[in-house]
This record gives sequence, structure tokens and C-alpha cells, in this order.
Amino acid sequence: MILRRIAAILFLPMMLAFGSGVYLYLGTMKSKVVKERAQLPTATKPKFVLPGTMFVVQGGRLFKLNAGSFTEIGPAGDWSQPAVTPDHTRLIAVLRSGQSSDLYVLDLDGHVLKRLTKDDSRIIDANHWVFYPRVSPDGTNLFYAYDSPKHVTGAPGVDLTIWSMPLNGTQREARVRSAPYWYSGGDVSPIPLAGTGLIFVRHSIDPSTAVHSQILFQSRPGAVVKSLTNLADNCSQPALSPDGTQLAMICTGGKQTAKVEVAPFTGSALGPAKVLLDGRLYAAPAWSPDGKALAYFAPAGAAGHFQLWYLALPNLAPSASASASATPSAGATSSVRASASPTPTPPVPVQVTQGVDLSATSPPAWF
Amino acid sequence: MHPVRLAVLTVVCLLLSGLAGAAAYFFPVVVAGVGQTGQTVVVPPSSTGRASPTPSAPPGAPFTVLLLGSDDDSKFQADHVLTQSMILVRVEPTSKRVTMLSIPRDLWVPLSTGGSAKIDAAYSYGGAAAAIATVERNFHVRVDEYAWIGLKGLIKLIDRLGGIDLFVTNPVLDDFYPNDIDVKNFYGYRRVAVLPGAQHLDGSSALQYVRSRHNDINGDFGRSARQQQVLLGIKAKASTLSPADLPDIVDALKGEFKTSMGLDRVRSLLGVANAFDLTNTKQIVLYVPLFTSYGQVSGQSVILPHWNQILPVVKANFP
Repeated sequence: MILRRIAAILFLPMMLAFGSGVYLYLGTMKSKVVKERAQLPTATKPKFVLPGTMFVVQGGRLFKLNAGSFTEIGPAGDWSQPAVTPDHTRLIAVLRSGQSSDLYVLDLDGHVLKRLTKDDSRIIDANHWVFYPRVSPDGTNLFYAYDSPKHVTGAPGVDLTIWSMPLNGTQREARVRSAPYWYSGGDVSPIPLAGTGLIFVRHSIDPSTAVHSQILFQSRPGAVVKSLTNLADNCSQPALSPDGTQLAMICTGGKQTAKVEVAPFTGSALGPAKVLLDGRLYAAPAWSPDGKALAYFAPAGAAGHFQLWYLALPNLAPSASASASATPSAGATSSVRASASPTPTPPVPVQVTQGVDLSATSPPAWF
Repeated sequence: MHPVRLAVLTVVCLLLSGLAGAAAYFFPVVVAGVGQTGQTVVVPPSSTGRASPTPSAPPGAPFTVLLLGSDDDSKFQADHVLTQSMILVRVEPTSKRVTMLSIPRDLWVPLSTGGSAKIDAAYSYGGAAAAIATVERNFHVRVDEYAWIGLKGLIKLIDRLGGIDLFVTNPVLDDFYPNDIDVKNFYGYRRVAVLPGAQHLDGSSALQYVRSRHNDINGDFGRSARQQQVLLGIKAKASTLSPADLPDIVDALKGEFKTSMGLDRVRSLLGVANAFDLTNTKQIVLYVPLFTSYGQVSGQSVILPHWNQILPVVKANFP
């Protein structure tokens, strides 16, 4: 009898401990999807040291990656889409604040030098969005996507239009540069070229609800735009190589996976594109300072947070056939470039960051 | 005490305590299973003479689920909400095929409860049973199960899943996006901007993406296509869940989710979700002008169905 009581006294805590252990053990069996939380870039060490200096964004915070370590820069706020000026002395970045966004000039350590736009208003629909800043190669003009003019008759329409303004001027001096399709989301990702040329992305929606993105070229303000990519290829996020001879882009073909493609660029037309990567969610390609590699974002890990990747490029000699491409108008659906073909020996991407959650809609600014 | 008896007693006690620990862990799932799954709906008999309530398809057989998404904010009385999203989903477990058909919320149809109205009103008049009966009668389709989720539930679900990855096809901008979640004035508006490209969306951003419609030239049809896209994103994430994640998911959906599916079917769905891929998924939107047209009825802007175009598609994909 006494032994039984002793056994009972011993068994009770044992059972309690075992039951609790099972409970806690089950908690550890949760998938990484639920458990994985992103770290700040500054709490991580890149697995690969990139040449030069790069600016990226996570959760509205600006980070500078230099010599293999991250530094947070800039004041608190919802920052995005940093772009470096051609002389590599300043950043232009977007600051979102509730119902609007504005462009700011910052130095490379994140100190605000100047506010370029004023897009906020107490009247909700009098606010404006501005995104995708990019400075012209000569450093004089700033190009960006701006939701003005708005469609005011009938259903409210808010579409992004490409604008430009003198970098040292005021918003009043800004000029419209594109005419988007209404109710499509509009035009984005301007890349000003030397002279008066401009590359940008136009969105359109067909009656079957299929959405298209197409990379366009405009030789000068007011000129008819030419399509650089086929409508059905759904290409976007163009990035021009430092020497201006190659265009990297993301193409989906209307699918929920993407390709990273590179095509020779003659100054007004694209040659045959090469598919470098295929089958994942790739975003925001950016050229290395020497033009021999690309950085981009893609998810890694169970949580699907976007990480920075590096891709050394195979030989991408410009093709003489590039100028042979026809360039019909933006709405044309005929093929305007040769079929993309996979490279014989695909380059191997290297994952640079791990455990962070970089903003894939803010392309890396790299010099 | 005899050593054998002691050993047996020890094993029994450990088993019992282990079961108790597991039961405590999954207790929220059981409570939700009782309260939120296996919801019985009495569907009024249809013109096809089908018996009610709907008998579930046998395990392993293809089945059709009516997915319902609602504003469940303070603008409405509890369970008298409009279903802003209605998607018929046919799951074929054997061939691993999924077909999704979005029903425009403004589709003008006869309701099972009487009269004609926009189809999103069916749920507000008669709950899930009326929504199911209305869909069955008009689309000549058999609905085996339904699942309803509220807006907050969708946000919480995606957040508990750690966000979803998808390719935002175009800028989704809206100056008149409803500002009706966790606010005092739920008739207000706000501006939203979801930028294009591959990205990781949290619950709030994903909701903006699927709910915004003012700046889409295809209006509700464009929104339907985005809703299907987000569903696939959720499916991709859910396929990596383990049973140990269920209490977290159940907690996220507390009061924001109801389904006629029993726990066994929910569990089997989680099991097979991993096997489905995008190439085996067919997406159908009843866009204008082929399947529908815009019209005015009693001063309301509505979508008028072209049944001669719709029904063959439904019959082919939802046999």
C-alpha cells in the first residue's frame, strides 16, 4: 500500500512532465512557414561579398550594403525605390506617408538633402503617388511615375504616367512624358537614355481580364512609342547595363512564374533575348558596376521572403541582328523579337542574403 | 509491486499523459472543428429535384466547393453580409486537377429565396443555404461543400501563413478603397497602391490586391482574376503546413470562417494540396462581353448573364 502511494506520488509529476513535454514538442513541429520570421539585414552577414555599393529596402527602411556588411541609413519612414544619381553622390528615394508618396534627395549616408515633390493633401483623392525615380545619364532630369492626371469623369481612375522634371528644379516644371491606358495601373519603370530616349513599361488589360506588361521605347517627348517586347511575353522591370548595350528584364508570359532575360539593346531596339533563369518568382534585376553580373531578388526558405541573389553572366556579346527587329506600336501583338532561347550552359545563381525580407518592388541601386 | 505490473503501469500513465498533452495542444482545433466545420445547411430542393441537405461526395471522388468571401464589418448585421467573392472550385483528387470559376458579385439572377437580385445578396437573405441554392439553380451545378471567410479572416490567415508570394501583374491603385476594418467610421475611403512584380505580400496588402476594383478596366472581373491568383498563393503556402500548425491557423480564423466540410475532408484537402500545381489549375472568369454584359435594373448597375455561353462552360468543367 505504501509502495503504491509512493509510486503514485512519483508518477504524477512524471505524467505532468511527459504531457507537457508532448505539448511543447508538438509546438516545435510547426512548419517553418509559420515559425520563420525575417531578420533585419544589419543582423545578418551576406554569404557573398558583392563588388561596389548597393542600396536595398526592407520594411520601409533603407540599407546600404558595402564590403560585405549592411548599414541602415536614412530617417525613420516608409522608404522605397532608391536610385543613385549618375555621379554616384546622391540617392533619390520614395517616401510613402499614408495616402501619398514623395521624392527626396538623400546623400549616400541617408541624410535628407531636399524634398522634391509635395503630393499630400487633406482631400483624399487630391493626394498623389510618385514612384520609380530615375535620373537621366547627364544628371539633369529626374524621371518618375506619377498618378496625374487622374480620370475624373465617370469611374475614378488612377493610373501612373511617366513624368520628368529638372533634378534641380521644382515640381511645377515637370512635364508629362507618356500616355497610359486608363484603368490599367499605367506606365512604370522609366529608364532615361542618353539624349532624349526613354524606356518604360506599359500595362494593359484585355477583355478576357488578362493583364499585360510591355517594355516600350520612345525616342523623344511626344514621339510614337515602339514596343521592345512582345505583348504576350509580359516583360517588365527593365534594367540597362552600365554601357547601355544590354537590357535585363523579367518576363512571365502571363504565368505566375518568371524568367530573367537579357537582350542586346541597340539604342532603339532589342535583339534576341537569352533566358538566364526560369521558373521562379524573380524580381528587380540590377547590373553590377562592371556589367558582368546581375543582382536580383527571389524567394528562399519556407516563408518565401525575398533574398538577394547574384548571377555572374555568360558572354553576352551584342547581336548584330538586334537592329533587324521590327518595332510595331505598343498595342501590336505580333512578335517583335526572336524567340527567347535558353543558354547552353546556364549560369549558377549565388544566394547573397539569408533570413531577411527584402522589398522586391524596390530594385537594388548598385554602383 | 511486481516489476511487470510497474512497467505496464508506467507505459499506460505515459500514454495517457502524452494523449492529454496532445489533446491540450489540439483542443482549439477540436473546438473549431465542432463550431466552424461540418456546418449543416439545408438547401431548398432545386428544380433538378436533388435531395437536401446536400450529401457530401464520397472520399476520393471529385467534389465542388463554393468559396464565399464577405465584408463582415460593422456595416452589416452578423451573418447577413454580402458575398463580395463567390468562386466555384472543383477538386479532382485523383487527377490532381482544380478548376476555379469566379461568379461576378453583381450578376443579376433569380434568388432561391424569391425575386431577383444581385447574386451577392443571396447569402444576406438566407445564409449559405440560399447562396448554394441560388448558384445551383442558376448554374445547373451541384455544390458539395461551401466555405465562407470574412475579410479579417483572410488577413489573419495570410499573416499566420507568414505572407504569400505572387506576381502582381500591374499597379493596383485605388482612391476609393473601403476603409472599413478596425475603424469607427466604416464608410470611409482610403488610397492604396500595390506595385507590380513578384513580391511577398502580407495579409493587408493581399487584401488590397484582391479587393480593389475601382481602377481596373474590367472592374469586378479583374478583381475576380486577382482573387483566384491569391487563392493559389494561399494554396501554395498551405501545402507546406504540418498538422502542428493547425491550432495557429484555427486561432487566426476564429469567428471568420465557416465550412460544411468536416475535419476529415479539411485534413485530406491539406494532404492533397501539395500535389496540385498551377499547370493543373484552370481559371475561368465570366468576363464581358462573351459571358456577360453590363446593364441597369431598377437603377442598379448589374451584370447580365449570357446563359447560352455560361452553361456549356459550366457543364464542361463542373460535370
